[in-house]
Amino acid sequence: MANRIDSLKAPLFVSWQITRDCDLCCLHCCTDSAPGKRLPDELDADEAMRVAGEIARNEVPYVMLCGGEPLVAPHFFRLAEALGAAAVQLKIETNGQRFDAGVAERLARLPIRSIQVSLDGDSQEVYERQRPGASLAKAHAACRAARAAGLPLEITFAPTRFNLHEAGAVIRRARELGAFRFNSGKLMRIGTAARLWDRLEPAAGQYREFRDLLEQQGRILGGPMELCYSPFTLHDALRTSLDEPPATLLVLPNGWVKVAAALPHICADLRRESLAEAWAAYRGAWRDQAVLAEVRSAMVDELRHADANNWRRLAVSQV
Amino acid sequence: MGDMKVNLQGEKTEHEAKTDKINPGERLNWETPRMEDVSEQVMAQPYIRFT
Repeated sequence: MANRIDSLKAPLFVSWQITRDCDLCCLHCCTDSAPGKRLPDELDADEAMRVAGEIARNEVPYVMLCGGEPLVAPHFFRLAEALGAAAVQLKIETNGQRFDAGVAERLARLPIRSIQVSLDGDSQEVYERQRPGASLAKAHAACRAARAAGLPLEITFAPTRFNLHEAGAVIRRARELGAFRFNSGKLMRIGTAARLWDRLEPAAGQYREFRDLLEQQGRILGGPMELCYSPFTLHDALRTSLDEPPATLLVLPNGWVKVAAALPHICADLRRESLAEAWAAYRGAWRDQAVLAEVRSAMVDELRHADANNWRRLAVSQV
Repeated sequence: MGDMKVNLQGEKTEHEAKTDKINPGERLNWETPRMEDVSEQVMAQPYIRFT
């Protein structure tokens, strides 16, 4: 049966992790990012610019630049400005630690759909416990700088047993800061979070209270800020993807393309293949019975998500 | 038009699946992706919501 993605000549959305390097070492990180964790084979600036050119030529409408922390990549602005000049809409995901008024004003010249800032607590103590060494004041300042420059602000909250008691305060804070959306969902058992799972995983009762809070806040808030938390789990997201694979390419810092976030499988390498070839390989992967079996397996066994960053190439060849 | 073989490396049982490999240049009825088609479903994937 044909998927919707088989009618599209290019993805609707590219989520591009431009570096694994980060200025923070968050306990819940699903990309194994931390200071000094830049991959040895990351795309360099020229290679990344070539990929950006392909994204533009293939008329991909929307790209997210993320990391690690994208602002630590020396070619971040070069990429963002090249994509923006080609009218590609952008989402920038940042921890806010180095996102100041100058960054905001420079980005405000581009077609930005969202600046997403992580606020994983509403007190410095709780925030820093999950994001060691980070400043909540800087993250709040980043949100204000984004709004002052006229940029759309999105807040994300990664729930752990350390911070769930401040979830309500973060939702209220997001509203005060002028966010148009508050994002959350179940903590993903991937990367650093998987290694620290026993310390981080919220209790079932905490999740129940969190869901109740989200539903209650959604009713109370109404207004301009949307609460986005569905699908709540990776299991639900995978089930949705089986019905309708997302028209999304997840690009890793070395140019590899993932089949799905919760799976380790790589369907293409943008260093060696064109974006059109990568898109064809992605669509092919979602029709492949072995890949679909892997997706079903990951749905029933959350432990398998912990393997998602041990990337493995799918062998694709002409026959 | 060739078929594409997709195998999971490291799998004990080799799986081969025929898929329709279509080069964009060869097909006339492709839809160009549009921002309006970026649905909530696309953007609501947990990995995108919070990395």
